[in-house]
Amino acid sequence: MIKINRRDFLKYIGAGGVGAGAGFLYGKSTQKTVELLIPQVLAPEEYSPGIATWYNTICRQCGAGCGISVRVREGRAKKIEGNPLHPVNQGRLCAMGQAGLNALYNPDRIRRPLKRNGDRGSNNFTAISWDEALTTLGVRLGNLKIQHESNSVYLLTNGVRGHLDKLFATFMDELGSGNYLHYDFTYPSTLYEANRISFQQENLPYYDIKNTNFLLSFGADYLGTWISPVHFSLAYGHLRQGVKNKRGKCVQIEPRMSLTGANANEWIACRPGTEGLLAMAMANVIISDGSYRGPDLEAWETAAKPYSPSTVSQQSGIAEVVIARLAREFVKQQPSLAIAGGTAATGTNAVESLVAINALNYLGGNIGKPGGLIFNPQPVLPNLCRQRQASYSQMLGLIAAMSDKKVDTLLLHNTNPVFTLPPAAKFAEALSQVPFITSLSSFMDETTAMADLILPTHTYLEDWGDDSPEPGIGFPIASISQPVVKPVYDTRSTGDIILGLAHQIGGELPAVLPWTRTLDYLKDSWKKIYQEKSPGESITTDFEKFWQAALISGVWGEDKKRTVQTDYQANETQIRDIHVTQPEFAGTESDFPFVFLPYLTQTFNDGRGANLPWLQELPDPMTSIVYSSWVELNPVTARQMGIREGDVLEVQSPAGIIRAPAFIFQAIRPDVVAMPIGQGHTQYGRYAKDRGVNPIQILAPEVDNRCGALAVASTRVKITKTGKRVKIIKTDGVTRTLGRQILDDGSTHT
Amino acid sequence: MNKSDTSISVRDALAHFKIPVFIGLVGMGGFVLGYLVQVEFYSDISPVQPIAFSHRIHVSQNEIPCMYCHAHADKTPSAGVPSVSKCMGCHKVIATDSPEIQKLYEYWKKQEPIPWIKVHDVPDFVHFTHKRHIKAGLECQQCHGPVETMDRVTRVSSLKMPWCVDCHTERQVENGRDCWTCHK
Repeated sequence: MIKINRRDFLKYIGAGGVGAGAGFLYGKSTQKTVELLIPQVLAPEEYSPGIATWYNTICRQCGAGCGISVRVREGRAKKIEGNPLHPVNQGRLCAMGQAGLNALYNPDRIRRPLKRNGDRGSNNFTAISWDEALTTLGVRLGNLKIQHESNSVYLLTNGVRGHLDKLFATFMDELGSGNYLHYDFTYPSTLYEANRISFQQENLPYYDIKNTNFLLSFGADYLGTWISPVHFSLAYGHLRQGVKNKRGKCVQIEPRMSLTGANANEWIACRPGTEGLLAMAMANVIISDGSYRGPDLEAWETAAKPYSPSTVSQQSGIAEVVIARLAREFVKQQPSLAIAGGTAATGTNAVESLVAINALNYLGGNIGKPGGLIFNPQPVLPNLCRQRQASYSQMLGLIAAMSDKKVDTLLLHNTNPVFTLPPAAKFAEALSQVPFITSLSSFMDETTAMADLILPTHTYLEDWGDDSPEPGIGFPIASISQPVVKPVYDTRSTGDIILGLAHQIGGELPAVLPWTRTLDYLKDSWKKIYQEKSPGESITTDFEKFWQAALISGVWGEDKKRTVQTDYQANETQIRDIHVTQPEFAGTESDFPFVFLPYLTQTFNDGRGANLPWLQELPDPMTSIVYSSWVELNPVTARQMGIREGDVLEVQSPAGIIRAPAFIFQAIRPDVVAMPIGQGHTQYGRYAKDRGVNPIQILAPEVDNRCGALAVASTRVKITKTGKRVKIIKTDGVTRTLGRQILDDGSTHT
Repeated sequence: MNKSDTSISVRDALAHFKIPVFIGLVGMGGFVLGYLVQVEFYSDISPVQPIAFSHRIHVSQNEIPCMYCHAHADKTPSAGVPSVSKCMGCHKVIATDSPEIQKLYEYWKKQEPIPWIKVHDVPDFVHFTHKRHIKAGLECQQCHGPVETMDRVTRVSSLKMPWCVDCHTERQVENGRDCWTCHK
């Protein structure tokens, strides 16, 4: 019998316990961590786990209307690619399109209806039920209708197209209010107006970059932001390498080099706003050379006479020889094409400039020809966006109505004028005079934050809809967009909300809008189109087949060729009316020595992309900067003022002051400073909020002298150093070319 | 000096170490015991599942084919684990008073999934698909062992890379030794 004393007994216990513990832990350390195998409670019928389904629908991140294919697994959207069948983007997609998943699964989405509970803009909201939300708004609108005061109801939306646009219009008409407006910062109003003046066309023509030989672009960043960048990037690829032994030439005329400028054969840095004058000077050369052999020669001579290359050379800062050479190349290299955007389309003389550039196409004989400018047929779907699109002047009208308390109820849908209108317009101040503001939005943007009632909408990946790309691509197409996943939150389809309101209000509204679901409304509308296009076919069986096929392919086009006007004849009065004035700027040159150029980016568009983290972390293609705002300065200017990269500058215009760090950028004129648009949000979720500054904040309210569009590139600024310095976050190393002569300093062109 | 004073007894010297050695032995015994407890009751090779589901009863006794429950094995990368509603499909009427089936009812009542513990798992950097292996004519048992005899599923294969490559080599799988076949 072993005698164990108390001390030893405790030692044995201790040793055994520690040993067992160590043994257990050792055993555990040799094993993998436990992973669970979570089954579904109810097996879904529509998919098998592990097998991806691709749904075709339409991208709504910008107005181009690209077709997308979304990869969905286990009911979740995993990846977005371009739809190869869609003629606009042909299987390709841009960064904004890719980042659509960030919008769908964004943690800052509005998840349920909200009611304001504190001061406006204090972000104090209470969650309410959909019933309560729709009743609140429905009763209000119904009462106004009964009192015949529906005219005090205003609906402001972004550039929606297709049947949703028609639904909004019908709803407002039946309510008895004609106040339905679109406001889209990026809408090319000046380009539409110029094409109406030049060609009496309500829609934009198709710019056939693909088949042209010589592309003369006045500021149009067609690879980055201009109208339909994915489509034009494809066309650009074809222009460069599509035909063997042929390489089209691209010339880019703009004060700040865009991505397109970097890809062009020649980048010519003219003074901002002188693009139209340059076009007229080229017209002058073409006519005096005798290269134009069409009718109305005399009228053209008179029109182009004041714009001699020597005069325009003074005004634009481009050498006479360069103007003459480009003009001759433009005529010689057939087919050629002149396009315009960017600074050419956002000056005080924008419409005049764009008309002049259209005239250049006319003189070059590029109208209605492959590789030139082709008129589009009427779109398949109702398209009244152009009439509804509010220019800056029309927005001022709305703001005046709001300030005069003529607006009782303002309905906002997916538009953010508080961010995209310059403060000089006093939109935010006017909002405070509106008794009741309702916002239909997926995100808490600056304008939605001012609302009294927030109705959260589905994102485009959860909603039904349709679209006909505008500008068209030369033949009629339309697409139906379908939900690819079930709604992530307690949100509703915009169409459902409007239809629900119609039923809530009552009167004759439910008779005109009898549907309760967007899908039914959409299907019935498409049945009408189907019957028109294919009379005699059974609406019950054949339409169902057609509908399924349209959903599966994601696009529908007409096989019958429409007769499109191919030729165009300018009349004499029109020619005599062509006249380009000097650009005007807010602020004098002595007080404000630099022209301020806010530019759109491929990532944020007008700021709507700033809440998507993938876009925030995507380096800007020209500067490689991520996450922030910056001011681009020419090295010469920077040296004169003793500014280094990262110096925080105060940028002051007649309208306001902002601060941002300097970035020394070789590819910008010394008399111009540029800033990207999109950052500087004060709301709009965790990724966008309090990051960078919004250059729109210091824009003076200059407008185009013909159509009243905001002249974004018409403000002068001065810059001063604040003495502070920050490190700019960028993926690039040095900005110097280290003697490799990658960029010249622009001196050869001036 | 006295001789006895200088003699050294090994026994006596060892006696001094007796207790520490015994303590050490007890410690080692504890270590082994702890290890065995871990392996037996907390093992990833044969983990204790939230419900004591027996493949032996389902497959051997009742002759339910594998693909009845793991329905996606020949169609998708993952074999698929049956949904709770599938279990309920039979167990609404079968073995309703078994205590384990009562656990199933609890999950069903709460509409919650059963948190099964994975027995067979490959790291995320391995692109394994069941579909291909079944298309190649493999039987489930070749990798998963005689599941039909197991009350609690035990992993019989290591699922480590040498084990995969051995089989790929032996069966002369096309591109079977190419990195990109599994790591993509």
